[in-house]
Amino acid sequence: MTFIASKTKHGDASDGNLGGRLSRLDGPVKITGSATYAIEHQIDGLVYAVTLQSTIAAGTVLSVDTKAAEASPGVLLVLTPDNIMHLKSATTWAGTPGPEGPFLALPKTVSFNGQHIAAVVAETLEQATAAAALVKVTYEEKGHVFGLEDPKAGEGVPIERATMSWGDAEAALAAAPVRIEQEYKTPREYNVAIEPHGIIAQWDGDKLTLWEPSQWVDGMARSYAEWFDIPFENVRMISPYIGGGFGSKALSLPHGAVAAIAARMLGKPVKLAVTRPQTFTAYGGRPATRQTLALGATKEGKLLSIVQHGVNETSMLGMAVEPLGSVTAIMYAVPNFSSRQNIIPLNTVTPGALRAPGENPSAFGIESAIDELAYEIGMDPLEIRLLNYAEEDPHAKIPWSTRRLREAFAEGAEAFGWSKRSPAPRSMRDGNQLIGWGVAAGTYPVRRTPGEALVRILADGTAEVASSSIDMGQGTYTILAQTAAEVLGIPVEQIRVKLGDSALPRSPVAGGSQLANLMTGAVHKAAHAAREELIGLALNHPNSPFLDLQLNTLAISDGTISASRGERSAISIADFMQHIAQEKIETLRDTLPEEKQNDQDRYNNFTTMMAMKPPTEGGYSLHSWCAHFVEVRVDEDFGTVRVSRMVSALDSGRLYNPKLAESQWRGGIIMGIGQALLEEGIIDPRHARVINNNLGDYLVATNSDIPDLQVISVGIPDHHASVLGGKAVGELPIVGVAPAIANAVFHATGKRIRDLPITLDKLL
Amino acid sequence: MTGTLNLKLDINGESRDVAVEPRVTLLDALREHLGLTGTKKGCDQGQCGACTVHIDGQRVLACLTLAAQAEGRAITTIEGLADPNGALHPVQSAFLEHDAFQCGYCTPGQIMSAVACIREGHTKSDNEIREYMSGNLCRCGAYSHIVAAVREAAEATS
Repeated sequence: MTFIASKTKHGDASDGNLGGRLSRLDGPVKITGSATYAIEHQIDGLVYAVTLQSTIAAGTVLSVDTKAAEASPGVLLVLTPDNIMHLKSATTWAGTPGPEGPFLALPKTVSFNGQHIAAVVAETLEQATAAAALVKVTYEEKGHVFGLEDPKAGEGVPIERATMSWGDAEAALAAAPVRIEQEYKTPREYNVAIEPHGIIAQWDGDKLTLWEPSQWVDGMARSYAEWFDIPFENVRMISPYIGGGFGSKALSLPHGAVAAIAARMLGKPVKLAVTRPQTFTAYGGRPATRQTLALGATKEGKLLSIVQHGVNETSMLGMAVEPLGSVTAIMYAVPNFSSRQNIIPLNTVTPGALRAPGENPSAFGIESAIDELAYEIGMDPLEIRLLNYAEEDPHAKIPWSTRRLREAFAEGAEAFGWSKRSPAPRSMRDGNQLIGWGVAAGTYPVRRTPGEALVRILADGTAEVASSSIDMGQGTYTILAQTAAEVLGIPVEQIRVKLGDSALPRSPVAGGSQLANLMTGAVHKAAHAAREELIGLALNHPNSPFLDLQLNTLAISDGTISASRGERSAISIADFMQHIAQEKIETLRDTLPEEKQNDQDRYNNFTTMMAMKPPTEGGYSLHSWCAHFVEVRVDEDFGTVRVSRMVSALDSGRLYNPKLAESQWRGGIIMGIGQALLEEGIIDPRHARVINNNLGDYLVATNSDIPDLQVISVGIPDHHASVLGGKAVGELPIVGVAPAIANAVFHATGKRIRDLPITLDKLL
Repeated sequence: MTGTLNLKLDINGESRDVAVEPRVTLLDALREHLGLTGTKKGCDQGQCGACTVHIDGQRVLACLTLAAQAEGRAITTIEGLADPNGALHPVQSAFLEHDAFQCGYCTPGQIMSAVACIREGHTKSDNEIREYMSGNLCRCGAYSHIVAAVREAAEATS
């Protein structure tokens, strides 16, 4: 038994310990252009693939005329549904069997406009692009369903697991003295990472190496292994830097299969970069949603009942559910509740995950509706939220681990100056600008999956941390180095972190805002083991200068080992390692429970999401919380909306690096401002085609759309949520931004906008 | 499209020979032919700003510029911004200090735009910085920190 009093400076130090405001360690390579993203790796003999996407929404590819393309200069291969290699179907992310095989990366049956149906490989990118334009496709077209507004869309399929109820919601609603009922809509939205998806695939015999941006190298490597029916160990995925993902880079996609097939057929490494317009259908973003919300309340504003019915679109190929009841069910104390949801298949790419899938549109509904109720009964929108404050999880009926939402409301309101708000709509103005103040809350669950990490103390006294987890800007490199530095007593600048390679110790998906908590936990455990081993050697090794002291512990700090009471002069770790002629101390640890240590459970833990624990497992309900306060200025003549000021108070528990966490918070808020005012996938009903499939027409927030944003941390360490006290960070801040803005727009104009985005045409 | 141009490009003060077809953009010449991958491709349509470089000191979108158009002109990319001895450009230091990026993919373009923005004198107010930095999209949402970094670098270099 050894005990070390490690120094703990949390919250404001920039000394490299956990909790310090250290600048990101991957910063220097990113600001000098030397960070190598996936398809930037320099591979000898590279050839280039370009895909063609379908121009119809539904039907069959009758023929693909490849003659002209094949005769075009530099062309090496044209892939079509007729000659594409048939792959095995891969296990889904949930760990369930994939659809009945084979998996056709270029299918003959078209089920959405913009589906990859052919590919051209050539010596250069320009040759491949030019030749792709020469490929002629003949289709047999069938009828399609373009969107939720399509009369052919129908009622869809009820989703059992999205059904929740307690009390008697319908009866309580019917008997409620105050009732409101409205429909809230969100459009199709896209991830739009600035780095488009792409891949380099290279075979060496039956070993496949993939350089591909990935939020989950182990999960994606498994798909490739299963597609090509090769052992998992034969696939190596390398993804040290990822140019944004926001949920879109966690799963293997058809274009990746095309590149790997082409590489195999040609015996050459193949680079395939999805073009920006193609990104809009190469994978799905957030599906369009609709939800009807009915609220019943007393005249004093106390909620009596919530009845919700939601739908989201999905594809003809897969069942994507955007859970619209996720926030509705836990935000307020309500004795009667009912929520159900259908999904409606139509001709679109299968929707995917986009920052806070479920919570985001769910909050738009309930946080708009509660605001409507406040005006209905003449109550302050902040007050009605406090009146209905949920003291425990109203759905799971268990206590929160921590819920600092009251503190978020209080501190946010104070910083914003909420008490100076004039209650009536259209009662605040500055010349031609109508001013509105709005508030809304948000939440995101704490998800937990075991992780694994290796810590290695080297002979020179420095240390390494290795894990297949990834850093797409959340700060993984930095906080893992801080974790190791704190435990090992080695300065943070002497710690190197290796990430993003499936050859390293394993990690689950960087999604669901879980990675920071689970990987700091794994590194903490491995680093503790390494420190124990180092101290053990210092106490017991025959060549140790501390041997004759007969102590039962030693201290390590600043890379130096010392006797706790100064019985012997301190010695650097490097010198000590020389004394004992040790090359390294290496510890590999995981946080899997004992009963899950077998090979199959380990494999499933890291390559599927089967082992991800729900936020209510373990007796407490674990969630992050936030409150957004917004000021908008709406031009009375033109209906243009500008967010002019925002204060957000957030409870993400303990922050491992507040500087980087605040960046994620601001980033989520900014994405939320874009979502509220700009983002909308526009579908041409005639061809079910996304017509604004570029960054000039699908608008995301620009620098000039964003005002000063104040963020306030109100969290406290939550050790029910994670070993080191953190809760969810990355997805939390976007939740509640859109309704806060919609609520502010109502306050400014007296117009309630229930369908995003809030564009000027809806205000005139 | 046939034929190959043997271009001499002046990149970061070095003369580089590159043999490319006439239709090759400066962006692809840098990334695919010269191994200079610091300049990023985000849209290839002139809409995101990730490929911003300087030509004769002016900010230019490398995806909308043919490599052949850049011959005989001084091209500066992110790799050429720091001092040859390794000292960071003040804008780079300010980006690091203010955490003006997350994933880092738009960052080289943001930094190249910021250097030009300061040189152009478009940093008289935060709103002016926002306006003149709006050609560079950042999906991680680092805008607040970008403005702070540009403001500080502008003050440091004035």
